[in-house]
Amino acid sequence: MSLQIDDIRFSYGKHLVLDGVSLEVAEGSFCALLGPNGSGKSTLTKVIAGVHRPASGTVSLGGVDVLGLGRRSHARLIGYVPQSGEVPFDLTVREAVLLGRTPHFGIGPGRADWAKVDEAIALLGLGELEDRSLSELSGGQAQRALVARALAQDTRVLLLDEPTSALDLRYQIETLQLVRQITRSHGITALIAIHDLNHAGRFCDQAVLLHQGRIQRAGTPQEAFDEAALTAIYGLDVTVEEREGYVEVRPVVREIEYQI
Amino acid sequence: MTTSVAAERDAGTPAASGGAPAPARPDRARRRTGAWRPIALAAGVVASAIAIVVAVAIGSAGISIADVWRAVVLATFGGELQADFAQAYSIVTELRLPRTLLAFGAGAALSVAGALMQGLLRNPLVSPFTLGVSPAAAFGAALAITLAGAQGVPAWVTIASALAMALLVSAFVLTLASVKRMAVATLLLLGIAVTQLFEALTSALQFAANENTLQAIIRWTFGSVNDATWSDVQVVWVVLVLALPLVLWFAKDLNAIAFAGDDAAKSLGVNVGALRVGLIVVAVLLASVVVSFCGVIGFVGLVGPHIARLVIGADHRYLLPFSVLTGGLLLLLADTVGRTVLAPAVIPVGIVVAFIGAPIFINLILTRKTALR
Repeated sequence: MSLQIDDIRFSYGKHLVLDGVSLEVAEGSFCALLGPNGSGKSTLTKVIAGVHRPASGTVSLGGVDVLGLGRRSHARLIGYVPQSGEVPFDLTVREAVLLGRTPHFGIGPGRADWAKVDEAIALLGLGELEDRSLSELSGGQAQRALVARALAQDTRVLLLDEPTSALDLRYQIETLQLVRQITRSHGITALIAIHDLNHAGRFCDQAVLLHQGRIQRAGTPQEAFDEAALTAIYGLDVTVEEREGYVEVRPVVREIEYQI
Repeated sequence: MTTSVAAERDAGTPAASGGAPAPARPDRARRRTGAWRPIALAAGVVASAIAIVVAVAIGSAGISIADVWRAVVLATFGGELQADFAQAYSIVTELRLPRTLLAFGAGAALSVAGALMQGLLRNPLVSPFTLGVSPAAAFGAALAITLAGAQGVPAWVTIASALAMALLVSAFVLTLASVKRMAVATLLLLGIAVTQLFEALTSALQFAANENTLQAIIRWTFGSVNDATWSDVQVVWVVLVLALPLVLWFAKDLNAIAFAGDDAAKSLGVNVGALRVGLIVVAVLLASVVVSFCGVIGFVGLVGPHIARLVIGADHRYLLPFSVLTGGLLLLLADTVGRTVLAPAVIPVGIVVAFIGAPIFINLILTRKTALR
């Protein structure tokens, strides 16, 4: 059940955002989508999630064309964690996680739906918070509730759109560890749009560098993080070195102002 | 009635402490799966039925609750009408009952329409009139009154004109918004524009009108159920009863839009664009019918859903039916107050409900656990 993305093109109006993106993510692996702002990584996750319809190209899971499926069938295969947004109403954590069961039940949730909700809440350690209102949660806790919602959705693929951008360092690491652990324990394929190259290098099996709507480099983080390529993509000199078995990218900052 | 609602609320509001590990206490288990909510809903239905009967009995004619029951049984199942009961019977069946049912039905329709709009537009401050329904209906009515001039106009023509104008303007707003993919901000801004435009158009008619016409136009805009007839009751209740199963069917999809946002709702398998248009049409239809028959009754569509949310929570599967009850009861209360407080004078319910609704709403805003952002 590998996730295969083939020649996806997408534009907002006349602005071409994705210009023929193809990549394959093996079942149960954790893939990072990287690139500067506006490179199309968020858009790619939204296309795979069924939020946007691409102008052309296919997304298939285990050989099944998921874009040709109905919305509900699509939602049972692919889950999506958006960038955390505010909820304009008071809602308990449990109710928020139950939203993940939307594509599975008819009018009301059944026993099996609540079981999945409880499982997701337990897995994310939200048990003590489950009756709290979402608005009382910290940023990290709210983010975990969103991940729990996607887990309750019980899909084969999990997409995350910059889930760590609003979190402090500890929650960033916890979230990434958790997603990696889920890919290992549940065989779920995870795709994450993320800014931090070093986090991607540390936690992901695969790294894809997007720039101007095209894939510039892809492979393991060691393969993808090429000094020359990163320098060109970000317009900033970087050095890449291995440390304790993981690649690390450092910007080269010339301290011109201090020399004057 | 109010005490039972308060008790339900205490039972339903999760303890803020929440830090305790999860012991399998039965009340906690019930609260977690929300089994108390159907009970609260049933209690609300019973309370509403009682409230309607009591409201019918209240008034200067000295009618008892037993008389109300007797008249209802007589009217429903037939039987012999005794001469000494004839007056009470006609007061109940021809005046009080249609009036009470129209007030409850109108409040219920506006409140459920408000709950729909607040959820669909992800904004707790919108009402069924946000898209410009009420100024459009008022203009439609004013137009009919002005064109008819001195010879007067049958009530149904004014109603039809108001309804047609409200639906036409809503269709216009929705068509324009669909160009922008039904974006929430677009809908809100178009609603503001249309509201301003039609208020100006009505003002223009008023400016040109003579004394009598002006009075008729202004009188129409006071929302009231003073001239309630059984046919008014029928229309409002039929629309309400048809709309309810439809909106309940889509309640869980509405939850996804309201709580998760458009993108996440799409990824949860909800056809956001179609659902938003479809349910706004339902809300607009409910609001237009009420405005056309009763005139402009503000606040119920805003406050009704808020009260319901405080009691039963934000889940639309329960919020929508409970909004029917809170809105109905609120307007029933307002009308009962309006026709008793200065009796024999009758204050239009649209004015009373603002007096009752504004303090409730202010209290809600100030006592909310979380500030509106």
